[in-house]
Amino acid sequence: MAYADLREFLEALQKNDQLLKYSDPVRPEPDLSSAAAATTNLTDRGPALLFDNIEGYEQGKGRVALNVVGSWPNHALMLGLDKDTPVKEQFFEFADRWNAFPGQVERRADAPWQEHTLSEDIDLFRLLPLFRLNEHDVGSYIDKAIVVTRDPDDPEHFGKQNAGIYRIQVKDKDRLGIQPLAAHDIGLHLRKAEERGENLPIAIAIGNEPVITTVGGMPLAYDQSEYEMAAAIQGAPYRIAKAPLTGLDVPWGSEVVLEGEIICGEREIEGPFGEFTGYYSGARSQPVIRITRVSHRGDPIFEHLYLGKPWTEMDYTLALNTSVPLYRQLKADFPDVVAVNAMYTQGLLGIISVKQRFGGHAKAVGMRAMTTPHGLAYCKVIIVVDDDIDPFNLAQVMWALSVRFHPQHDLVTVPNGSVLALDPSSDPDGIVHKVVIDATTPISPETRGHYSHEVADPSATAAWETILKGLIK
Amino acid sequence: MTSPLDATPLNTTVCPRCEEPAVRVMTTSPVPGRWIMYVCDTCFYSYRSTEGCTATDPVVYPKEWKVDPAEIPGMLAMPPVPQRRG
Repeated sequence: MAYADLREFLEALQKNDQLLKYSDPVRPEPDLSSAAAATTNLTDRGPALLFDNIEGYEQGKGRVALNVVGSWPNHALMLGLDKDTPVKEQFFEFADRWNAFPGQVERRADAPWQEHTLSEDIDLFRLLPLFRLNEHDVGSYIDKAIVVTRDPDDPEHFGKQNAGIYRIQVKDKDRLGIQPLAAHDIGLHLRKAEERGENLPIAIAIGNEPVITTVGGMPLAYDQSEYEMAAAIQGAPYRIAKAPLTGLDVPWGSEVVLEGEIICGEREIEGPFGEFTGYYSGARSQPVIRITRVSHRGDPIFEHLYLGKPWTEMDYTLALNTSVPLYRQLKADFPDVVAVNAMYTQGLLGIISVKQRFGGHAKAVGMRAMTTPHGLAYCKVIIVVDDDIDPFNLAQVMWALSVRFHPQHDLVTVPNGSVLALDPSSDPDGIVHKVVIDATTPISPETRGHYSHEVADPSATAAWETILKGLIK
Repeated sequence: MTSPLDATPLNTTVCPRCEEPAVRVMTTSPVPGRWIMYVCDTCFYSYRSTEGCTATDPVVYPKEWKVDPAEIPGMLAMPPVPQRRG
């Protein structure tokens, strides 16, 4: 199932009772972000929120969509699955579809965002109901848009064109601040542009169907196209269209496309901003974007992401696109790995289930996770469990920890590992001890403990699960 | 009914965060008279007239979130500006 655009996905959510339209008056601050935080605080099966009566905007014209993929039912619907699909099944489906990379792109000339264009008197606050997300953020941000740039040394290379998601501070009506970290693809594009003494053309596509948003946060190789991955994940060609000023490829279905340039050599204070770690990241001197062209649909929907103390929508959007690459990398070396749940603070903590081959095997798998590309900046805490434990079922994981983990034998500490600087426990920034917690059952030659008489479920339990699932639904 | 703009006298000149007299009107609400958005040209802090006084008033803006304007030019550049190719 492929959704053409955000509006079509919102309709699918509505049909499945996973969209809440709220038309009573609300304040930009603090109501909008509070409502998003409240939804994920209350439940992991919550709806998307659509507000259309925001103070200062004409009712029905200024619209904000929040929490669009912020629950497991919404995540399943994004993949075209039944909304009650268990997380572990969503994981395996996602991993299977990854194998279809690269999918096809479908180039179209008739994008709905071509309906209106602006190149003078641009005022992003008039176009979109921008608002402060967290109390001590420096201002309003755009943090869920697809940001597109090309490699200035190889501008015709489609795969090297990057479509990612970055935090963007709205500094003025037509001026933005962006955080393109040096390790990110956009950071490489900017470095090359600045080495050449050139501004970097940029397109910012706001309000999209959810697959490209999910893929935008994926750790793909530098020359792999996010649009070709989106095609693989949605199981259909991905529609793109050329942005008129920059010629950059943006999603066909976007609500709004902003175009402009990152200004060569310019840095300005940006931040603080409440981050996905649950802590603010401080003010830094960061690049600046000047917007000179806006294309948009009539009455565009501002799709926005609340992030802060987990869990927020970001934890859902990043859950499987973090877990699946780690799974694939581990599986290449250790075919005995069954599943990987790396969805806690983007994989700072991960849970790996493995079919052990010999004593010490699980610890080796845990340490390998730390040396995968993603693990170099994450995987501070790795819990390894047996293959009879669903790593997405925390009750099962806690049971394994409580009875199969021995503190004297099963704790492996790796001193002074690398981690992302945003980890508030790192000291100095970017350095932290890491730990493998082996909660697997000891096997030969590691014979210890009393594990021979495990209680099995009664013999018809699986059949009854099927019967009851039908009745409860 | 009192308009939100009439409710309290609002700071419109001194930045709540860096305390520089560099605040200007950035924009106003599409429906006239509902709010004004201000921005500081020194530290780029922005605030809406309808936000609480801890966001709009330099006196009660939390001290731990303030910025010293003298420190802004020396802030760490992320990413740093590279050398131009010869």
